[in-house]
Amino acid sequence: MSSPCCGFLAQYTHHHLVAFLLTFFSYVLLHASRKTFSNVKVSISAQWTPSVQNASSPAFSPGETWEENNLFADSDGATLFLGVLDTIFLFSYAVGLYMSGVIGDRMNLRYVLSFGLCGSAIVEFVFGTLTEWLQFYNIYLYCGLWVLNGLLQSAVWPCVVAVMGNWFGKSGRGFVFGLWSACASVGNILGAFLASSVLKYGYEYAFLVTSVLQFAGGVVVFFGLLTSPKEVGLCLESETGLRPVEKDADSHRPLMSDEEDEEGSEEVCDGGYYTIRQGDEEPRETPKAIGFCQAFCLPGVLPYSLAYACLKLVNYSFFFWLPFYLSRNFGWKEAQADRLSVWYDVGGIIGGTIQGLISDFMGKRAPVLAVSLLLAMGALVGYSHSPPDQVVNAALLATTGFFIGGPSNMISSAISADLGRQEALRGSQEALATVTGIVDGTGSIGAAAGQYLVSVIESKLGWMFVFYFFIVMTGCSIVFILPLIVTEIRAMWRERRARAQEL
Amino acid sequence: MTAGHSQQNAAVVLLFIHLCFSGGYQLTELQVGLCHLCNGTVQNGTAVSQFCSASAGLIDGRCCLLRKENIRDADYIIGLYVSLSLDLSNCSLSRVEDLQDAFSATTIDLSLNPIVNLDDSLFEGFIQLANLILPANLVCPGGNASWDKVKVKGETHFCEGQKDICNQTGYLSLNCPENSLCVPYGPGFFQCSCVDAFRGYKCLREGEFPIIQVFGPLAGSTVLVSILLWLTQRRKAISV
Repeated sequence: MSSPCCGFLAQYTHHHLVAFLLTFFSYVLLHASRKTFSNVKVSISAQWTPSVQNASSPAFSPGETWEENNLFADSDGATLFLGVLDTIFLFSYAVGLYMSGVIGDRMNLRYVLSFGLCGSAIVEFVFGTLTEWLQFYNIYLYCGLWVLNGLLQSAVWPCVVAVMGNWFGKSGRGFVFGLWSACASVGNILGAFLASSVLKYGYEYAFLVTSVLQFAGGVVVFFGLLTSPKEVGLCLESETGLRPVEKDADSHRPLMSDEEDEEGSEEVCDGGYYTIRQGDEEPRETPKAIGFCQAFCLPGVLPYSLAYACLKLVNYSFFFWLPFYLSRNFGWKEAQADRLSVWYDVGGIIGGTIQGLISDFMGKRAPVLAVSLLLAMGALVGYSHSPPDQVVNAALLATTGFFIGGPSNMISSAISADLGRQEALRGSQEALATVTGIVDGTGSIGAAAGQYLVSVIESKLGWMFVFYFFIVMTGCSIVFILPLIVTEIRAMWRERRARAQEL
Repeated sequence: MTAGHSQQNAAVVLLFIHLCFSGGYQLTELQVGLCHLCNGTVQNGTAVSQFCSASAGLIDGRCCLLRKENIRDADYIIGLYVSLSLDLSNCSLSRVEDLQDAFSATTIDLSLNPIVNLDDSLFEGFIQLANLILPANLVCPGGNASWDKVKVKGETHFCEGQKDICNQTGYLSLNCPENSLCVPYGPGFFQCSCVDAFRGYKCLREGEFPIIQVFGPLAGSTVLVSILLWLTQRRKAISV
């Protein structure tokens, strides 16, 4: 079955733009509300503990203002619990990701996306605002709500990547996805600004604003999102690829070109999901969604997942703990620390886009990652010795963000899209959301384990050892993608030699 | 005599009515509790009785209620201020547990009682206490440094004039946390109360959040954008 519209070169219509913007801003709002939690940690910690006093001095009076809340006896206990909450969130987020990827490939993406956004907004409202208005503080309630929040939020990422994958084909994927993957960092920046502006009224208002904003986003997505071109009768453009790179015999992941250079390929509109039919395969129904284990065994998925686990640990530790570290270590006010933590995300955006472009030009992704990660280790050493000057700190923070955030953004978006559309699938299976879910799920497990470790290391050994831990993790991620780097570099050398021989 | 008596009765009735309007519930509890803790009325010759007759106050049990009018044109009733003096001397009290009902007292007389010791926290919150008369074996609450004048006359110990603890240079450790100021709260006691627009737990919150200004435009723009996108995007969507 072939639709009459096929065969056109699809232009980027306003539908493409709206799909880009809606998916972009869905994830922006999600990350903004996550950032809110990490930016108000100091205030929440103050709310949960009684005033600190020397042992000899009497407690402050009146008790309702200074001593009444003792969910935790002191700020160390509160800090540890905040780390536990981060871990719980990331674990349930990881579990949810594994499931949501599978669900997203089978259900209406728009419903899943709006449900995730709105549901998560309601849970965040209850967590931060309602408990404060009712003056009800309970450890188990917080844990339960945060588990629910992780599960609901996990629906968002695979859906947005799948929608983007439906609308934007392989041509220019590196650049478009690189630009689009800035959504996480833009969300962090937005969340930081929102939180720091509203914090003075009370942390409950920070939660209120971001959760209402997120709910509004869910409503807009429900009414405005088209999940694929097929919904308006469009087809995706024929796949010409960026430039046909010679396929090497043992290159198992031709990232930039797929089957375009083969003769007789026939473009067919198939449920709006772009598929390349080879030669004379019979027409068939909508491609089946891939099974979880098959997706996991696809080449490249495992090493990138493990590397992403280490990288996301470092990235998310910065994301969750940076304002806290800045205000505790340097004594800056929480609102100031929030604004400063924005620079890490700025570096991440620039890094993701530039490194995505470079890897597009080179045709290889792993070497770019390796170089960036090596430089990241140096940047971490530099940042850990940062002087208490805000300008220098911001500059070092941006540099670190560039070198760590860049690879992180690339792996989670462009590389996942590559893996989900690779040759090994031969267009016969729908794997994009599942692979995205696997990579991000493994990454989140790593990040989850890391959060708890960070708070334990910090309370027992101090912040310097936390930085050593980050450096070790960055090194580990290089180790995991070492086989891929070796393969790609060998491929590059062979191409060079082949080209030299031709001349 | 009768004229004076009926005048007094009328005054009592008026006072009760005024107290009801101005929320003088504590004083009514007082009348049941502390004022009648021990028998009799204000003893002759005590400081309280001298003070009471000099200022033409009302005697009820062991209490002397002085009606001070703080006249304001619009609310005569609300401006009523009652000052209280409590005379518990010669009551055979061996222990004093709770005087909280009399926290607004200006004078308290506990002399001629076989009290062994007084808990310092008994007088927490007694910001208007200007005269405290104790048996000689007891010390002034908050120490001698908390009072302007401390003298011992025979069997009684006079503590006069509460000092503002917040102004004392001797109390160097009296630092209230951020956004709060020291206010006196009884002899030797202080409170840290939030300054200016700060409020809430630990005085962390400042100002009032402008809910309407934030959420009004947000709701409006959400509706607008949803309608716009639905018209341009989804209206012609076919179900896949």
